Amino acid sequence: MLAALIKKEFRSFVQSPLGWVIFAYTIFMQGICLSTAMKSLTDTPLVENLVYVTYHTPNFWFFFLFLFPLITMRAFAEEENSGTLECLLTTPLETRHLVMAKFFARLLFYMLLWVPGILVFCLFGFITDLATPFMREVVFTSHLYLLILGAYFISLGCFASSLTGNQIIAGILTIGFLIIQYFLGFVTLIWGEQFQAAELFKLFSVQNHLRNACRGILDTSPLMLYILLTFFTLLLTHHTVNYRRWKK
Amino acid sequence: MIEAQRLTKTFGNRRAVDDLSFSVNEGDVVGFLGPNGAGKTTTIRMLTGYLPPTRGTATIAGFDVIKESRKARSTIGYMPESVPLYDDLRVSEYLKFRGRIKGLKGTKLRERTTDVLERCGLTDVRRKLICELSKGYRQRVGLADTLIHEPKLLILDEPTNGLDPNQIRSIRALIKELAKERTVMISTHILSEVEMTCNKVIIIDNGKIKAEDTPNNLVNTLRSTGSVLLEIQSDIINASQKLQELKHVKKVRSLGKRDTWNEYEIVVDAGTDARERIAHLCRSENWSLRSLHRRDASLEDVFVELTRKD
Repeated sequence: MLAALIKKEFRSFVQSPLGWVIFAYTIFMQGICLSTAMKSLTDTPLVENLVYVTYHTPNFWFFFLFLFPLITMRAFAEEENSGTLECLLTTPLETRHLVMAKFFARLLFYMLLWVPGILVFCLFGFITDLATPFMREVVFTSHLYLLILGAYFISLGCFASSLTGNQIIAGILTIGFLIIQYFLGFVTLIWGEQFQAAELFKLFSVQNHLRNACRGILDTSPLMLYILLTFFTLLLTHHTVNYRRWKK
Repeated sequence: MIEAQRLTKTFGNRRAVDDLSFSVNEGDVVGFLGPNGAGKTTTIRMLTGYLPPTRGTATIAGFDVIKESRKARSTIGYMPESVPLYDDLRVSEYLKFRGRIKGLKGTKLRERTTDVLERCGLTDVRRKLICELSKGYRQRVGLADTLIHEPKLLILDEPTNGLDPNQIRSIRALIKELAKERTVMISTHILSEVEMTCNKVIIIDNGKIKAEDTPNNLVNTLRSTGSVLLEIQSDIINASQKLQELKHVKKVRSLGKRDTWNEYEIVVDAGTDARERIAHLCRSENWSLRSLHRRDASLEDVFVELTRKD
């Protein structure tokens, strides 16, 4: 039952132009980030590894944050708007199945988006015939972090989509949530670390965590935090879907 | 098959369904009637587990819609009002998907898909995208979806809404065919549809049941009066008074004047026929009589009488 729903959701990406547009957009932006990183490596002495530089180019966060509204905005908003939510929830399906299917199908699609990027790093030495400017572990830690962070951002997008029947508003809400999350990491940079809540802001700094992951440090505390936040946001999504249908 | 006990649903201060109790037996074909906003869809949504009732309970095939919601839902084939479908899927893909989420798999799923495609006349369009289908075919896909898991009960919310007369006839014939094997509950405003297909009628208004009986019994008993239409040449006030004094006449309503003829609707007691007395009165009063005929009550009269606001 759950597998059928996940399959249907996943196919809605693979069989629709939107899915391929997102795929093309991601590959294009990953290419821009990599080429910018390689250019900077030729201009200046190598201080950090290639994976680190690729994921710290100015383009990276721009394209990364905009990915999630595209993936999630249709999740519940479209079902509610077209009335198919009623069709789904009057079968033996439960709301939790629906929320899980929407989430996991999107996570699967998101993972697929990173395959070309990972392949580029894996084949770097083979294609360029140069010494690989990063350790293999870095590819693993950075992409594991991006996977867990992506799961959290997808759950935020699903939550935003459950709040409205309009997918454009859902997309705007998602980008709003993600920008707030992103700028939490800048609070200590702007106001310094001389106040009590500074540690809390540092805990929520996605930039700090990515920096560590791209240096090959596998810090489990942010990973656990994002996994917990993902569960919490999905729970909130579940309740929102039920609340919105029960008040109609 | 359906037992609803004191179902109530409130949205804020508004009571959409108010203390609704009714039962539907196995094999019944029930017409669920009511004006717009009467609470039909809300009641159906409570029966299908989409909305929880504020108070009261309902069971479907013995399963409580709240406590045993999944079991109750698995016995229902439900088609919502606007027949929402996934436009990007092909007809057979959609039906297979719906079959899977209703617990079918493997050979059984394939057999059921082929069967419902045939029964609903969709075999020729099974490879078409749903967005390419006409409204009539979309309705058929909706019906095929309700049948795929062989439910004991079909609940159809306005199944012929927005169709042209030919499409209405074909969907109606299909529903009649399906009703031979299972319990069906149809929510509609089209009264002729109910008269043709249903053996029981539930009329609700303002969230309350106004009537629950067979269409014939409703016409015979609930319509408390019959009416006679009369065209005469007479003094209007005098004629109204004289007609009102006749035995079994409940009310005389002047419908105005056509040419030089006055038209009246005379409401009489149920099961009586005042035409002979009226003709006799016309003769004795020397009124010229052009027409006198009894208007048989229809389900529409019952509906209007029970749900009109004035």
